[in-house]
Amino acid sequence: MPAGSIDAELFNARVPSGRRWLLWFLYKVLWRTVVGLVIGLRYVWGKMPHPDGPVIYIANHNSHLDAMSLMTIVPSHRIHLTHSVAAQDFFGRSGFRSWSMKNLVNAVLISRSKEDRDVDPIELLDAMLRQGHSLILFPEGTRGVPGVLADFKRGVGHLASRHPDIPVIPVYLDGLYRNLPKGRTLIVPFGGTLVMGDPLSFPAGTSVDAITAKAHSAIASMASELKNENTLPPTDSP
Amino acid sequence: MNKLIEAWEMNAEVQWVIFIILCILVFSSVAWNTWNFLKPGKLVNELLVRTRSWWIMCACFIVTTLAHPLVTHIGLAFLSFALLREMYPLLKLDQRERNVVMLCYAVIPVQYTLAYLGMTTLFLAFIPVFMFVVIPFMLVIRGETQGIVRSIGLMPYSLVAWVYGMSHLALLFHLPEIPGFTAGPQGLLLYLIFLVGINDVLQFGWGKTIGQRAVLPKVSPNKTWEGLIGGVLSVTLIAVALRFLTPLEAWEAAFTGFCVAVAGFMGDAIASGIKRDLGIKNSGNAIPGHGGYLDRLDGFSAAAAPFFHLIYFFGVTAAG
Repeated sequence: MPAGSIDAELFNARVPSGRRWLLWFLYKVLWRTVVGLVIGLRYVWGKMPHPDGPVIYIANHNSHLDAMSLMTIVPSHRIHLTHSVAAQDFFGRSGFRSWSMKNLVNAVLISRSKEDRDVDPIELLDAMLRQGHSLILFPEGTRGVPGVLADFKRGVGHLASRHPDIPVIPVYLDGLYRNLPKGRTLIVPFGGTLVMGDPLSFPAGTSVDAITAKAHSAIASMASELKNENTLPPTDSP
Repeated sequence: MNKLIEAWEMNAEVQWVIFIILCILVFSSVAWNTWNFLKPGKLVNELLVRTRSWWIMCACFIVTTLAHPLVTHIGLAFLSFALLREMYPLLKLDQRERNVVMLCYAVIPVQYTLAYLGMTTLFLAFIPVFMFVVIPFMLVIRGETQGIVRSIGLMPYSLVAWVYGMSHLALLFHLPEIPGFTAGPQGLLLYLIFLVGINDVLQFGWGKTIGQRAVLPKVSPNKTWEGLIGGVLSVTLIAVALRFLTPLEAWEAAFTGFCVAVAGFMGDAIASGIKRDLGIKNSGNAIPGHGGYLDRLDGFSAAAAPFFHLIYFFGVTAAG
C-alpha cells in the first residue's frame, strides 16, 4: 500500500468552505423541506442525543434517495465532514456523475473490485476516520431487493474494530424505495420512515465478524419493531 | 398588499368561535393534567395525548383558515395530497401504477385552482366525470392489464373520497352574497371544523362513559350505539348554538349539525373498514398519538360535500 496515494485521496476529500455552505443549504434546508413536505418522510429519533465528533452511520440501502436523506440527520456543523461511501464503478462512470457525487453529495468513491485499484478502500476510510471525518456506509453493498435486508459486507466491522472510540449509528430507512425504485428516474412521493437508532459502541478487541453481526441485528430489529408498531393485533380495534 | 390585509381581517363571529375553542382546549388541558396529577392511569394518559394533538391541529386549522384565502386553498390542497400519499402505498398502488399515481397527484392543484377561480360547474364535474374516464384510460394504455380492475376501482375512489370531498371546503369561498350573513367563508369553515372535531370527541366521550353495545362489532368495536346517539344529539345542539357562524335558521342548523355528525361517523366507519382490511391500526403517524392523516381527516372528507350542499340549499336556493 503506497502511503502517497492515500495522502492524495485524503487531499481530495478535504472540503473547501464554499462547498460546506452549499451542502448545508442543499441538505439541511432544501432537501429537508422537500423530504418533509413533498415526499413525506417521517423521522423517528433515537433516545440518545447525536454524539459529537466523528461517527459511522450504517443504513440499509434500496434507493438513490437513501444517502441524501441520511445527510439530513447529520448535525449542521459536521455536514462537510460527512461522506457517503459509494461505488466507483457505478458513480464514477461518467464525468458528470463523479463530479456531482463529489460536489453535491460529498461522497467518496471506492473501487469494489480487487483488480483495478491502487488504494485499499478500508485503508482510505480508516485514514479519513482518523482525520475526524464521518462516514455513511451501506453495508449491504448494493440496493438489492426492496424491503429485504441482505447480508452485510465486513467493511463496517473492519472500520469499527480499528476505531473503538467512534460510535456506529444504525439507521433504518423504510419506504424510500417506493419513491425512487431501482431503475426508475421519476420520483413519486409515497412517504417513508427514517428510524435513527441509538449509537452502538464496541469495546476494543471485538472481532470484525461480531461487529458486523451486531450491526446487522441492530438494523433488523429496528425494521421488525417498525413493522410491528402499526400491525393490527387480532383482538384490537382500529 | 392592502387587499391581502383586508381579506385577513377577522369578524366578531370568528373571534368568538376561536375564543370558545381556546376555552375548551385550556379547560381540558387543565382538567386532564389535574386528574393525571391526582390519579395517573391509562385513560387519562390517552386523554392527555389526544388533547395535545388537538392543540396542534387546532393551531394549524385556525391559522390556515384565518390567513388569506389563497393560503387556505393551498393548505386544503396539501391535506388532500397528504391523504393520497399516505394511502397509495397502503393500497399497494406504488409499483406498476406509479406514473398514473403522479397524474392523480396532478389532479389536486387543478381541482383547487378551479375552486380558487370560482369555476363551479367545471369544479363539480372535473373529478367525477372527466378524471373518472381519463385515469382508467391512462391505466389501460400502459399495456399491462394484470390487476387493472383493482386499480381502476381504487384510483377514482381515492380521488373522489379524499380530493373531491375535501375540495368542497374551498368552494365555501365562492358562495354568492347572502343578505344578513356576516361571518363569511372563514366562519363557515370553522363551523364545520368545530362540528366534525367535537363530533369525534363527543362520540369518544359518550362511548367511554356509557357505551355498551357496539354498532359495528366486526369493524370497529370501539364505536357504540350510546356514543353514536349521544354524539349526534349533542352535535345537533351545538350546531344550533353556534349558528351565528352561518346564514341558517335554528331548525336548519339542527338538520345540518345532524347530517354533519352522521356523515362524520360514516367517514370514520369507512376508514375503519379500510384499515381493518389492510391489517393496520393507524393509517400513518403524522401526529404522534393521533395516527396518520386519514385517521384525522376521515370525518372531514366525508362531511365536507354534504355540508357545502346544505349551506347552499338553505342559504341560497331556499332563501330565494
